[in-house]
Amino acid sequence: MGKEIPAEKSLNLIRGRLCDPSFIFRPLSASSDSNYSKLKFIVSTSITEGCNNSILLLGPRGSGKAAVLDLVVGDLLEQFPDSVSVIRLNGLLHSDDNCAFKEIARQLCMEHHLLFSKMASFDENSHFIIAMLRECGLAHKTIIFVLDEFDMFAQGKQRLLYSLLDAMQSVTSQAVVIGISSRLDADQLLEKRVRSRFSHRKILFLPPSRDELDGLLEHLLSLPADSSFPSGYVSRFNDKIKNITSDRRFKDILKTFFNAHSTVNSFLKFIFCAVSLMNLESGLLSLENFKAALSSMQRQPKLEAVRDCSVLELYLLVCMRRLEVKEQSSYNFISVMKEYKAIHDSFQTSDYYAQNVCIRGFEHLRERQVICYAENRGQSQTGEYRPMKLLISASELHQGMRSHACCPAILLKLLDH
Amino acid sequence: MAATPSSKAKTFQSPNKTPTNMYRKSYLSPSSTSLTPQTPETLTPLRRSSRHVSRKIDLGNDPIDLPGRESIQEINLTPRKRTTDVVAETLTTPKTKKKKKIDVEASFSPISPNRSETITKKKKKKKRVYYNKVEFDETEFEIGDHVYVKRREDANSDEEEEDPEIEDCQICFKSDTNIIMIECDDCLGGFHLNCLKPPLTDVPKGDWICQFCVVHKPPPLQGKKLAKRTMREKLLSGDLWAARIEKLWKQEVVDGGCVYWIRARWYIIPEETVSGRQRHNLKRELYLTNDFADIEMECVLRHCFVKCPMEFSKASNDGDDVFLCEYEYDVHCHSFKRLAQLVDGDSDSDQEWNGGKEKEIDSDDEEESVCADSKSKRGLTGVNTKGRIFGVEKVGTKRIPEHVRCYKKNELEKAKATLLLATRPKSLPCRSKEMEEITAFIKGSILDDQCLGRCMYIHGVPGTGKTISVLSVMKNLKAEVEAGSVSPYCFVEINGLKLASPENIYSVIYEALSGHHVGWKKALLFLNERFAEGKRIGKENEKPCILLIDELDLLVTRNQSVLYNILDWPTKPNSRLVVLGIANTMDLPEKLLPRISSRMGIQRLCFGPYNHMQLQEIISTRLKGINAFEKTAIEFASRKVAAVSGDARRALEICRRAAEVADYRLKNNNKTAKSQLVIMADVEVAIQEMFQAPHIQVMKSVSKLSKIFLTAMVHELYKTGIAETSFDRVATTVSSLCLTHGEAFPGWDILLKIGCDLGECKIVLCEPGEKHRLQKLQLNFPSDDVAFALKDNKDFPWLANYL
Repeated sequence: MGKEIPAEKSLNLIRGRLCDPSFIFRPLSASSDSNYSKLKFIVSTSITEGCNNSILLLGPRGSGKAAVLDLVVGDLLEQFPDSVSVIRLNGLLHSDDNCAFKEIARQLCMEHHLLFSKMASFDENSHFIIAMLRECGLAHKTIIFVLDEFDMFAQGKQRLLYSLLDAMQSVTSQAVVIGISSRLDADQLLEKRVRSRFSHRKILFLPPSRDELDGLLEHLLSLPADSSFPSGYVSRFNDKIKNITSDRRFKDILKTFFNAHSTVNSFLKFIFCAVSLMNLESGLLSLENFKAALSSMQRQPKLEAVRDCSVLELYLLVCMRRLEVKEQSSYNFISVMKEYKAIHDSFQTSDYYAQNVCIRGFEHLRERQVICYAENRGQSQTGEYRPMKLLISASELHQGMRSHACCPAILLKLLDH
Repeated sequence: MAATPSSKAKTFQSPNKTPTNMYRKSYLSPSSTSLTPQTPETLTPLRRSSRHVSRKIDLGNDPIDLPGRESIQEINLTPRKRTTDVVAETLTTPKTKKKKKIDVEASFSPISPNRSETITKKKKKKKRVYYNKVEFDETEFEIGDHVYVKRREDANSDEEEEDPEIEDCQICFKSDTNIIMIECDDCLGGFHLNCLKPPLTDVPKGDWICQFCVVHKPPPLQGKKLAKRTMREKLLSGDLWAARIEKLWKQEVVDGGCVYWIRARWYIIPEETVSGRQRHNLKRELYLTNDFADIEMECVLRHCFVKCPMEFSKASNDGDDVFLCEYEYDVHCHSFKRLAQLVDGDSDSDQEWNGGKEKEIDSDDEEESVCADSKSKRGLTGVNTKGRIFGVEKVGTKRIPEHVRCYKKNELEKAKATLLLATRPKSLPCRSKEMEEITAFIKGSILDDQCLGRCMYIHGVPGTGKTISVLSVMKNLKAEVEAGSVSPYCFVEINGLKLASPENIYSVIYEALSGHHVGWKKALLFLNERFAEGKRIGKENEKPCILLIDELDLLVTRNQSVLYNILDWPTKPNSRLVVLGIANTMDLPEKLLPRISSRMGIQRLCFGPYNHMQLQEIISTRLKGINAFEKTAIEFASRKVAAVSGDARRALEICRRAAEVADYRLKNNNKTAKSQLVIMADVEVAIQEMFQAPHIQVMKSVSKLSKIFLTAMVHELYKTGIAETSFDRVATTVSSLCLTHGEAFPGWDILLKIGCDLGECKIVLCEPGEKHRLQKLQLNFPSDDVAFALKDNKDFPWLANYL
């Protein structure tokens, strides 16, 4: 491939960092107050003291629950190479008890080089798991069950959770059940006897503070001085970053961003967007990149949909809006057509189309989910007669029509009154 | 007997240097030994050879082990020779008799590791009589006893080996029984208390190390000392074997005599394992292997005592032949595992209730029964899982982690361990009344000559000790059965939540009674015959059956036939069935069909939630002798739990969590904190974590727009008084709020995303976002919580006006 230009190289480096959770969460988890050290303490003491525990990791999506857990598990596997085995389940895939048992048995078999039989029944699998828990406990091996999307397991009879937690009440077993969920009330979903057996360790993942994020930004974007980059380039790049981050406008951009998003993951996405827009000629980031990234992160699909409508479609939307204002709660295509005709009659607009053209416009709007059928029932009725609903609000419509390239003035007037 | 098949003996005596022969090599009669000088190579004892075979199968480990093995043997040989020379003339009583016997019944003993040979042997020998206890050489040997076994042939031939029961003092080299001896924990040497400098008057507590070990110098050696090596020394240096007797039998030989045999399960010293002696290994530690061999009683020297750590620590005065065994060693996989029965605490004896002293089985019969046994086992595990169930035993660590062994626990860690739910408490406080009632019920049912079937329904909220009470009652009863005061019964325990389907319970019961696995329909048929018509299942005799069904409510099917069947059986005249049902709900019988509730609802027992006094007692009995908790802390935890649920598990978990919190706190603050105890604050943290949903913290930390969004929802709620609102309305409110307070309104689509994010955390309940403007929203937590979380917000002080 020959020589890479430094700009491309730095781009790759930063992108690689952004996609590597351990690079991001390692510095965030140094302090003793961090979730990393709390979680590690609980799990490692369960390993060394040979006891059972169950932990819930709670927090909004994208706050790094699974990433921190992976970090902890990776460290523990290094620390106790022979005595930790990890079983991973996902609630979206294994919420069915039967299937979950099968998957656990399969992973246990893989781990211990045993033969797994696909034909094994629920009973056999559950016996096998309990036997394995016991044997592993005897051999000082800890099994860590990672249940992602924990809330999905807390449905139905919760046989899986009950069996696991009940088996963990025996002396010989050594297991840690770690549930990951974005639902804050995940433990309330548990059935009462399962809840009674659950240890209720909860670790809450909160969005990082601004200072931490500033530190993270620098950690992510500054290039290392000792690598193979041309020396002048590194210092130029880092100076530019420092320049940008101290800029007031950049701070405003960040502020608007954090107004809406607070999690680590969204922040990373934002940086990724900005970095990807980097100018490869100059090889440096600029403020414009961040500005563009912000706008691409905060898109307004409905508004854009209105902006792209044809004039006829705008007419239809306005008619529907007018019907709503007239407190006509339910309307369908026929009544919209009536309104359309009335407007045409009173204002003599130039844009009057036949009904079959209108129905095409109507279908377009529905496909773009600007409007929808009011209810799912009545599918036997043809489209024209089914009650419809507008999915955008008046202000959005207004805003969209203003920014529309060729919106007739009369429509705005019609909408207003 | 005297005339052993000489031809055979000869074949063995003939220069048997071929490797195949080596494996069959066994202990020869003393007379023959004198004829053929044995080279060390051929002396490879049988166990070795069997392992050798196995090792050949799994190649790769060979180079690690072989050199070590040979070196051990070479070392061993030299001192042994000397021993023979020196102690040749001293004769001890038990040995002499044995000697004679050996002379009389000079036979070769086929200690054959490969199965085929034993089978052929069996064909020849007619009868085997199995014993539980055998008197041999004036000593009683029982199944489960531990014995020393001769390792090498000349160990047998060095005739009158004195077996010094009492060890010599390492300083005065005399063995005086009147003076108390103390053992060094490092070199295991014995010392008279008064020979020491300075002399000791009492045995000190804790570890004691002798003066020689302190300066790392071996004690002065004398030739005499070598001469009088104790069995323990020989075992630990690899000159003897230790074994556990698994089976005892007498086998008739062709000409009418009989020979006693044992099946031995070998112990192994740490040096012989793959990993060798490790730092944490104790001096007297042995490993139990999964290697068996049939050997003749002749090779057994005498008893030794292998104990689990708990007993070992107590057995300070049991003499020199005490060893410690905590782990099992798999000779095929070279992996370690803790001994199961030691861990479980109550070792289940496999002995039959009516364990007859003698069982006489024709050898052919026995062979068959073995086959049948294995077959039924296979059926039990199912064809598919056969390989896996066998495979489970292979699980083990290659190396015992050091942290498990050399780890001194501090008070907090001890507390944590004893507060574990898995730790079975020694006593069950506060449930004596209920336990008495259960005992009375069961005894009343099974002691009756008629043994009328009865049924009891036990209910109570989770964590009130229902199952454990019943189980401990059953344990007490079992002890009584063993003592002979109660007639035997069979006990079946089933958990409704662990059954794949309610109907499966039939197969589980049938399997428990008969040992055979059949489909549930067939099982139901058999069970009906057994309970309703009084037919027997298999070999089972007329024992009453106690059936414990945990989580009974899970057995309710649509037509409730499962419950009906199970509860109907006890009413049959000769069912001899007692059913104990456990569930949470008080009114389960009432919710069922009348015909079921009339059968179940007669006798009930309620386990009420614990009050705070009881919880306190439970926790403090567990923590007895461990100074880790402030008294107020325990009281606080128990009061809190009693107020919420009265669930003992919760109380224990809170305390354990509090101990963890305290541990974490103390470990992170390196400076010694003023109190090493668990204080109120730790319990407070634990309770917060357990009982409080973390939504307030999350609400405090969400993004600004989310806060405004939540405020708008609360505002909307106050305005309309209706909990449910639509996105349309909320968005309008948000935009007006933003307008009046100079915040930038982000646009509807972003707002929708924010609402959906909140919905994902379940702070608000919402419909999918595709409904956009029509999306219905509702706060999932009381509006006061939102108000509390957002009131003193520094970024938006104005939010408080709307809350």
